[in-house]
Amino acid sequence: MIPAEFAYRRATSVEDAIAALADPDAKVIAGGHSLVPMMKLRLARPALLVDIAGLPLGGISDGADEVVIGALTSHADIARATVLSAGPLAAAAECAASVGDAQVRNAGTIGGSVAHGDPASDAPAALLALDARVRVLSAAGQRDVPATEFFKGPFWTALGEQELVTAVVLPKPAGQAGSAYASVEDPASGYPLAGAAALVVVEGGRVVSARIGVTGVSGTPFRATAAEAAAVSGASVGDAAREDIAGQDVFGDSRFDEEYRRHIAAIVIGRAVERAVARAQGGAK
Amino acid sequence: MTYVGTDLPRIDADDKLRGATRYVGDLKPHGLLHARLVLAMEAHATIDRVLKDDALAVPGVVAVLTAEDLPTAFEGPMRQFEPLARGEIVFAGQPVAIVLAETEAAAEDGVEAVVVETTALPVVLDLEAAIEPGSPAARVRQVGGVMEGGAAMHVEAGSDGGDEAVPAAAGPVSANAVGPHQQGQGDVAAALAGCDAVVRGTFRTSWVSQIYMEPQGALAIPEVNGGVTIHSATQGAFYVRGMVSKLYGLEVDKVRVVAEPLGGAFGGKFNLIDPIVTGAALAVGRPVRLQLTRSEDFAAGMPASACVLELELGGTRAEGLVALRSRILLDQGAFGDWAVDGGVAVMIGGPYGWQAWESTSFGVVTNRFNTGAYRGPGGPQVVFALEQLVDELAQELGVDPLELRRQSAAAEGDTVFDGTPWPAVAAREVIERTQLHPLWAKRGSLPANEGIGVAAGVWMGARFPSAATCRVDQDGGITVVTGAVDMSGTNTSFAAIAADTFGVPLSQVRVSYADTATAPHSPPSGGSGVTYSVGQSIRLAAQDAKDQLLDFASGQMDVAVTDLEVVDGMVRPVGSPDRGLSVGHFAAQVTGFVAVAPPLEGRGRFAPGNPSPSVACHIAHVRVDPDTGEVTTLDYAVIQDVGKALNPALVRGQLQGGAVQSIGWALYEELQHDENGQLLSGSFMQYAVPRADLVPNVQIDFIEVPSAVGPFGAKGIAEAAVMAGTGAIANAVAAATGARVRELPMTAPRVWRALNAK
Repeated sequence: MIPAEFAYRRATSVEDAIAALADPDAKVIAGGHSLVPMMKLRLARPALLVDIAGLPLGGISDGADEVVIGALTSHADIARATVLSAGPLAAAAECAASVGDAQVRNAGTIGGSVAHGDPASDAPAALLALDARVRVLSAAGQRDVPATEFFKGPFWTALGEQELVTAVVLPKPAGQAGSAYASVEDPASGYPLAGAAALVVVEGGRVVSARIGVTGVSGTPFRATAAEAAAVSGASVGDAAREDIAGQDVFGDSRFDEEYRRHIAAIVIGRAVERAVARAQGGAK
Repeated sequence: MTYVGTDLPRIDADDKLRGATRYVGDLKPHGLLHARLVLAMEAHATIDRVLKDDALAVPGVVAVLTAEDLPTAFEGPMRQFEPLARGEIVFAGQPVAIVLAETEAAAEDGVEAVVVETTALPVVLDLEAAIEPGSPAARVRQVGGVMEGGAAMHVEAGSDGGDEAVPAAAGPVSANAVGPHQQGQGDVAAALAGCDAVVRGTFRTSWVSQIYMEPQGALAIPEVNGGVTIHSATQGAFYVRGMVSKLYGLEVDKVRVVAEPLGGAFGGKFNLIDPIVTGAALAVGRPVRLQLTRSEDFAAGMPASACVLELELGGTRAEGLVALRSRILLDQGAFGDWAVDGGVAVMIGGPYGWQAWESTSFGVVTNRFNTGAYRGPGGPQVVFALEQLVDELAQELGVDPLELRRQSAAAEGDTVFDGTPWPAVAAREVIERTQLHPLWAKRGSLPANEGIGVAAGVWMGARFPSAATCRVDQDGGITVVTGAVDMSGTNTSFAAIAADTFGVPLSQVRVSYADTATAPHSPPSGGSGVTYSVGQSIRLAAQDAKDQLLDFASGQMDVAVTDLEVVDGMVRPVGSPDRGLSVGHFAAQVTGFVAVAPPLEGRGRFAPGNPSPSVACHIAHVRVDPDTGEVTTLDYAVIQDVGKALNPALVRGQLQGGAVQSIGWALYEELQHDENGQLLSGSFMQYAVPRADLVPNVQIDFIEVPSAVGPFGAKGIAEAAVMAGTGAIANAVAAATGARVRELPMTAPRVWRALNAK
């Protein structure tokens, strides 16, 4: 619980931060709510912390086709952004609201969470379901990485060593859409034992498309494609979800064993779809 | 009386809220060395070698000490007498070595560089297997001597009932078994045979950590007389003095213990690390401070024991509860310093009068931690088993569960399971009050998947001897002096007691904590025994000082003592308030260079004769998610007899805190080990506690049936407050779902499986 020694530097600009990342032992810190616990456990030992908290990378901007969430936007700000919660991107706000506790949501940032790549965190579910892109910047310029390609494995992402996450981009779905996030949390850590986000589009009372992102269950967040198909075809989403889960290498431990987690993963997928459909149809918010 | 019985803010609240309170971790004496511990990786092993050289090469590291380096002069079969492992590691997390350095980071670096070479020994974890003859020993190295202090503080188990009385427990056991402890009365088999209904079940509980906010901390400063001053986050300064002086062969006056402000303890802060820092400071001749991190506190602390409880009980519609047979295994861990393995065989009777019982318990030595005290030791475990079966019995008998409890409530003169008579106890009054509670009345009109459950618990209470003094200061204020640690607001109650007894405003009462060099003898803060005993000593001391004042004032004022009173800081003839003179007027005359009379200094001494048990019922309203097994506590009520609420605000706080910890026991808290004895839940990432968002509003409803012993009728209340929740929530889950969960904590997967098995 005593971190190893490290140097600290406050970045003066985005360019300055990227330049500082030339040091291979440097690590970016924003809210610190993912990195600092790992440093205290000495699982991370950066020689240099580059603090980007003061950079102008926060805020949510509502464009014509997409909503851009700055990397330094706190989970709390995302949770209470009506541009998200009042519309078809509600899953993003709902997901942010279920992160940790109030202190974590106030200090922790979406960019930090995404860059950290913790397979147990809430955010990837919503990012997968909402077809988000992770915007990254390096000396070579800016690129957008689709969420489906961003999360590679536990604490492993598509982020390059000298790249900085600057924003998360959520495209606005066309048509009559709704989304929702459902999870069962570990009462100890607050992390989802299983979390699922669903985005559905309905036409004439029928689901015509569905995207479902699942997190917390296995080493890499994934899309529940069978459940997506079932949501459209009208087959049992729960049965299809179990099929999706069956193909996964599911976490299990002495407190929450694999059998239980497979079971609740299917439950939360079903709940997310049900609520997303209700929202798309103008029912429950 | 103007203060006792009214809501008063804690006198230490302001400092704590402003962050001004200085804890052990804030003290930095000249020459301080920071310490960090090398904790055992294995659960059971022989220590072959400890390689220190790499650690000593770390810049800033001053010393690496193992058991052989500590100047111990005594061995005994308690962890307190083996501060660092001597040759044999008996649990993963046991301190093996201590690294001393100029900075904490250097000490931590040093810890990483120490190599402990070991040879593995069989790990003993399963309670049933461990007591079978032929089981490997959890502790190979046997140390002679007797357990002392420890559990007796919390549970007065009384003498064992005699092995011949209960033949059912006979049979060979391994050296890991401690006991059997047996209690019995009457012919249980015949009594059960005559019952209208008999129910039985086996229940399991888990190890639970106290989770005080401030992890363990202690600072030892070597003194020129060869002794040591220990600044400690401890519940019992005199207790630490006694144990440490014995361990290091020092006369008691060479060990001065200063109890620093406590950031919570709940039973867990009794001489755990004081022996380590003392030995290290004596070895190197410099001050040594050790402040555990939360991870270390989890790994090396002394949590509450897991139990396996087998119970069978029977009753009749006419008489209520009649007969009980029980067999309890209590995991002592590697050391049983605070194990209540004997006490649980007594406590399993609950707050009820029984006709026949046969109660057997064993302590079991295993390679997990060592048992510590935790608020109401043994209570949440026995309640979980007993109170579920009482509900099941009520169902079998077709009677209301609270009515069955009321019918069976213990009354003065009934027999406790250890053969002693019940002292005055308000079990019936508490249960009757519970029957009237609005939350209980809601139980018949709930939505699907919701349920309301109830359970009762009792705590007998410690009976510590104590002393205190009360000095009249020159300004007319009074200073009461105690060596008791303020763990839960007791100083605020002491001030109210002294103010009312003496007759001065509360603002003129000073409560002074004194260390072991100067304090009147004071008991440890635990066992619900501090207010009960020290409060009475404070009252007697204030009364003594007041008597001295009136005696002096009588001569000065030429008014008979019996015609004088002290009101609001004024000594005045009864009926003539305008002729009053201030307390300070008299105090000044006996505190100058020349005085006509000796100073005014009262002394109070007290030894409670009888305990005054406190009984509590908890009512829990839960919702169970039938798909996931998650239990949400929607509403909660506590009904408890407190004797007399000296400070109702503090009483409500105590009862609410107890309810929250109950919820933790019931639903969340669990220290798990893998099959090799490795701790799996050694951080808050895995160890769940009832967070603020998981706890409902707790309705507090206390009743006051005065004690004949405690100050102003007060009873010790802290521990009764934590007991009933395990049973109440289990019964609520059963009411919501029809399923019985027989393992603590009732986590979502366990509830889900119980639902599937229904």
